[in-house]
Amino acid sequence: MNLKRVLNKEVISADLKGETKEEIIDSLVALLFNAGKVKDAAKVKQCILERESKMTTGMEAGIAIPHGKTDAVDELVGCIGIKKGGVDFKALDGKPSNIFVMTVSPLNKTGPHVQFLAEISRLLREESQRARLLEAESSEEIFSIFCG
Amino acid sequence: MTHLMTKLVLQLALVIIVARLLGWFFPKYLKLPKVLGELVSGMIIGPYALGGISLEILHGPIFHMPPGAELAITPELYGFAVVASIVLLFFSGLETDLPTFLKFSGKGSVVGLGGVIVSFVFGDLLTVLLMPQVHSVMDPAALFLGTLSTATSVGITARILSEKRKMSSPEGVTILAAAVLDDVLGIVLLAVVVGISKVSTTHGPIPWAHIGWIALKAFGFWIASTVIGIIVAPKLTRGLKRFKSMDMIASISFGIALLLSGLAELAGLAMIIGAYVIGLALSQTDISHEIQKKMHGVYEFFVPVFFSVMGMMVNFEAMKGIWAFGLVFSLVAILGKLIGCGIPAFFSGFNLRGVLRIGCGMLPRGEVTLIVAGIGLSSGAIGHDLFGVSIMTLLVASVVAPPLLIKSFDGGSGYRKKFAAAGGQHNVQSIELSFPSPRMSRFILELVLDSFRNEEFFVQQMDLDRDIYHVRKDNLTITVILDDTTLTVNTQPEHEQFVRLLMLEEILVLKDFLGGLEGMKSPDMMGAEMLRGMFSSPENNGLEG
Repeated sequence: MNLKRVLNKEVISADLKGETKEEIIDSLVALLFNAGKVKDAAKVKQCILERESKMTTGMEAGIAIPHGKTDAVDELVGCIGIKKGGVDFKALDGKPSNIFVMTVSPLNKTGPHVQFLAEISRLLREESQRARLLEAESSEEIFSIFCG
Repeated sequence: MTHLMTKLVLQLALVIIVARLLGWFFPKYLKLPKVLGELVSGMIIGPYALGGISLEILHGPIFHMPPGAELAITPELYGFAVVASIVLLFFSGLETDLPTFLKFSGKGSVVGLGGVIVSFVFGDLLTVLLMPQVHSVMDPAALFLGTLSTATSVGITARILSEKRKMSSPEGVTILAAAVLDDVLGIVLLAVVVGISKVSTTHGPIPWAHIGWIALKAFGFWIASTVIGIIVAPKLTRGLKRFKSMDMIASISFGIALLLSGLAELAGLAMIIGAYVIGLALSQTDISHEIQKKMHGVYEFFVPVFFSVMGMMVNFEAMKGIWAFGLVFSLVAILGKLIGCGIPAFFSGFNLRGVLRIGCGMLPRGEVTLIVAGIGLSSGAIGHDLFGVSIMTLLVASVVAPPLLIKSFDGGSGYRKKFAAAGGQHNVQSIELSFPSPRMSRFILELVLDSFRNEEFFVQQMDLDRDIYHVRKDNLTITVILDDTTLTVNTQPEHEQFVRLLMLEEILVLKDFLGGLEGMKSPDMMGAEMLRGMFSSPENNGLEG
């Protein structure tokens, strides 16, 4: 699937601010808000936290994929953030998370929402890809790794 | 005109009711395939049997024979059979499992090709040898009889394989792959033969150049329309999906099948080639199952009509002197398939048991045989006697095949040991989840299927008696199977992450649901409330008002 339909360099950060799980989520929501992708940031944050409360989205190898569904968006939106030092995202392997991919999908609309998340996760399977992301200095560089 | 239409309506009424009833009776009480019942229904009510009896109210028989016509039935009724053959072949194309064919195409192709070549040669030669009026292997009659020996109707075999759980055995997949090639070759062969029969003469030199040109044209039309079809189909379906109505998409797709059938006929080929090509092209798209579902009613209406009308054209009178030939021809047609498919199967690693299974699986004949025979009869290439022979072949092969096939699957593996390791390798990732109760696993199944639908996948239940679903989108196919308390999802490895993520979300929904139950007021209390006052008089009943 075409990742470019959702991603652009405005929704990518090579240096995400925040030291806790909640601060990281705040920064990711802010990325979407500042890019004009969402209007009601509070509602988006709420749906992300709700999903985290059921089970963490911090996976293995430093990857976290916070996501949620809300009527605050009309179509699938997503953003990517890198936190070089990593933060405790309550990941499954107990290690700090440093690559964050967040998606927010509309409640009552069909579309390849999980497929988008899966496509990105698939790209992150390679250790070399993850290393490239962590070394990237700018959002343009990260964009080209995913969509180049 | 009014009288003509009244008669047509009455004929159709009779055909539909009797074909349906015998189609139900044959499998239930005689353990014979449904199509045979439908075919026999036509023989009984047709113009050469009961239908030929004059009725006072109609001032003649219900199925009167148009004087001097090639066919024993009216063009109006034959028109229904023609549309039915298009529906049948459109469905054959739609049901074609190209990925399975390609995966096992190596073995399948040689088995299919062997069966086609040997059957054709046997059928053609036998006609020349035993029919005094046929002198050349290029005689249209010989060509038609050769062609109709080649087609396999895998439907009967597929049902038996599925019942015996042998569908994915090495023999099963080889038969299915071979049958795909068989259909394709049979139809191309028909195209060539129809073309040749138009120029071929029974006497004098054979116009080889002309025949070669026709064969080339038939093959060219076939290859070009198939390739274009497969390339254009995804774009076409994307366009059609804009209508947001599956009914409309299905109707337009069928309209296109009719269009291409007409074009094929105009190009000097047989109509069914066009229908098959469109079905084949659409079989690779995610809406193929949906089209089948929407068109199912049309199929159920037309198909019995087709088989019954074909049965009507059997002229028992004309077959009088040809019973012996018919019997020999039927046996040789069976031998042709057993030898033609068996030898390549043996060299592909099967032992004699496997060879027999594959040979028997390729025996049943069906719609393509009938269509070829019908075209031969209507074009005058074969007479009523040889038409009868072809129906006889179909009957004998379809009656003999099922018990033979069932018996052949007794015993061990059909693979020779040194080949065993290479057989039946699937590149599929299985994800399995077990639940404490069948109800819970069904609950999750519904959630997972809904979730696929939300991702814009098409969900199709493959077998109404079992919980096996194909979930398709573009060129992606995922299989979901529920077996009591176990839910299994099979996918290609590259889509495993998607399936895992999707299933995880649904497990969380289940967790939420169970959490919600705990917060509910005691189920005992709720139950008691339901029953309270049930046996007290209305005056004391607190539930009134």
